[in-house]
Amino acid sequence: MSGLFGTLSIALSGLGVSQQELATSANNVANANTTGYSREVVDTAAGSPIQIGSLLVGTGVVMQKIESLRDPILEIQLNQATQQQSDLNAQLSQLQQLQTQFASSSSGIGADISNFFNSLQQLSPNPSSLELRQSVLTSASTLAQDLNTAAGSLSTQQSNLNLTVEQSVGEVNSLTSEIAGVDQQISTLENANEDASTLVDQQTNLIRQLSGLIDVQVVQTGNGGIDLSTSNGTALVTGIQSSVLTTEAGSDGNAHIFASGQDITSSLTGGSLAGTLQVRDQEIPSVLSQLDQLAAGFSNAVNAANAKGFDLNGKAGGNIFSTPPAGTTGAAANMTVAITDPSLIAASSDGTAGSNGNLANLSAVATENVASGQTPINFYSNLVFQVGNTTSNVSADVDASTSILQQLQDQRGSISGVSLDEEASNIVQYQTAYQASARVITTIDAMLADAVNLGIETAVQ
Amino acid sequence: MRVNPYPMPDLLAALNQSEFEAQDAALQISTGKSVNVPSDNPTAAALLVENNDQATFNSGFLSDLTTINGQLSAADSTLSSVQTALQQALSLGVEAGNGTLSSSDQGAIVAQLQDIQSQVLSLANTSYQGNYLFSGTVIGTAPYSVDGNDPSGVKYNGNDDVNQVSVGSGYQLAINQPGSQLFSATGNSVFQALNDLITAVGSNTSVDTAVTELDSAADYLSVQTVFYGNALDQVQSQTTYLDAAKLQIAQQQTSLGAADLSSAATELSSAQTDTQAALEAISKFSGNSLFNYLS
Repeated sequence: MSGLFGTLSIALSGLGVSQQELATSANNVANANTTGYSREVVDTAAGSPIQIGSLLVGTGVVMQKIESLRDPILEIQLNQATQQQSDLNAQLSQLQQLQTQFASSSSGIGADISNFFNSLQQLSPNPSSLELRQSVLTSASTLAQDLNTAAGSLSTQQSNLNLTVEQSVGEVNSLTSEIAGVDQQISTLENANEDASTLVDQQTNLIRQLSGLIDVQVVQTGNGGIDLSTSNGTALVTGIQSSVLTTEAGSDGNAHIFASGQDITSSLTGGSLAGTLQVRDQEIPSVLSQLDQLAAGFSNAVNAANAKGFDLNGKAGGNIFSTPPAGTTGAAANMTVAITDPSLIAASSDGTAGSNGNLANLSAVATENVASGQTPINFYSNLVFQVGNTTSNVSADVDASTSILQQLQDQRGSISGVSLDEEASNIVQYQTAYQASARVITTIDAMLADAVNLGIETAVQ
Repeated sequence: MRVNPYPMPDLLAALNQSEFEAQDAALQISTGKSVNVPSDNPTAAALLVENNDQATFNSGFLSDLTTINGQLSAADSTLSSVQTALQQALSLGVEAGNGTLSSSDQGAIVAQLQDIQSQVLSLANTSYQGNYLFSGTVIGTAPYSVDGNDPSGVKYNGNDDVNQVSVGSGYQLAINQPGSQLFSATGNSVFQALNDLITAVGSNTSVDTAVTELDSAADYLSVQTVFYGNALDQVQSQTTYLDAAKLQIAQQQTSLGAADLSSAATELSSAQTDTQAALEAISKFSGNSLFNYLS
């Protein structure tokens, strides 16, 4: 009686497969909002037919596998886009903070420079006036203080970034350790020929998070295994083993990143770490160095001009500003006015109290090349341009890379995203198929009863 | 082609963008500036620094011109008074020289001439806002003191220095004349002439010569005084020029950095419309799938 029992087993296979398909759909629906989840589809095939006489008879349906739909190339592109965008985003937020130091044209360092020369200008018709001389000292002091503040804020921002670097490295280490753990699990499952899709999704998600921090490249090593390293070759995860990155203070006082004793700080090219380091090690030092150049050049020029004249007591002029350090580093942070007595401003060119002859030399500093071959105001306005331009360019780059990332995510969604509409219609389909198979079984059950009872009608319980 | 079934991130991104644009427009309206941070317009931000510098210099020059105007006017009016006194001395000298006066009348004229001499000395020692006007750059010392040993009767204690003040880019104005050039120049000294006239009238000898000497010194002083009139004229025209420049500089500042309020208002309104539309689209989107329709 292989016929009816055979048919029974065919119908049974239908029930089983429908159940699994339903389960898969249910899993998709449950994970519709899970980050990084790739929807699953069931691959079924008709069972190998058997030969009965001259006929080939089907044996029902067989489940081949449950497949996760994802595009590995897309994942690579998404990782790269994430690294790029995180890098730029980290830069942008720091640069926006940095540029607030240079936000106003009517106040701030530029205005202070203008006001200093204006105070000299006001002194000119009345060079012996103590009140007007005091104004010169006051405006000199305001300039020095604003340079101190700007340099101080930049240094503070820089040292805060050291904390950020340390935190980020900690996060990298915890992610690579997690990834190594997942790799282990995947490897175990693959070796047992079992489906590791969910774990692969998890792994992909972790790598994506890692891409937000650092430039990570994935190398497939066969059998589902992967190695992770930075684009410069520093190992992050090798097989099922993760490498730990450490931070130590470098000779510049900043936190440097080490991998197996090698300093990899300047070799990172993506992720928020690269962006943070770019600002900490390139942009901020560049601006600080320029502020130092301005402070040193300005102080030296004013002091030299003062030395050419005579003060109110007929003595040769001394320093108005403190002498900048040799090598100019720290000039902006440490600039102060060296005198408090207004009579020490050397306005006179011949020692008489009413002569303003040396004020011309002091005022001439406004049109002298004091830093990088530029006048004080030109130098400062160029600095403002540079800061604004860098920030504006990075901002445009962030917009562009965000847009690319979004497009890639849309593509991923279209391949791997769960569509509730689709799952709903599938569920209807699977339910119908299940009902049909069940109906077949009921029918066969009745037929079997007929066969057994051979013509005598019996009720089937 | 299968559509991305989860468009929410894109919709939220669009919402975020329109909210950002609304905030940016609102900031421009509330600050009145189109350049609030350098990245808004790096070139304009740099030019605004230069513009502020120009504005500061411009107002500095204008302020100096006011100060200088006061100094020059004080000197000029003092010198007018000196000229008046010298003219009085001249008529007295002419009167004494016509030979018809008695010796007591001569005596009276000498006394009046001596008064005028004191007056001229006092005028030459005028100070303005605490500084002597005619002592060159030795402004703390009175230019002339009585000196019986000097033939002119006075000693000059000042120097010959002239102060220049910058009143425009590359434009220097001399703002004083030393007494040594006005009152006691060699061969044209007002003090010498006055003293000589007093001596001449007192001894009734060579009065005509003394009158001629004083006349010549007064003329010389008159020519030197032209300096002040010229300087005041230059102050006037430079002030006019700088006032016009001030307007230009202010206009440039506006064109560089002021918010175009009407276009910012339009941007704000359109960004708000976009935000509203995005919010409505998102709200219609969420929650609908085939599941809602299967019983």
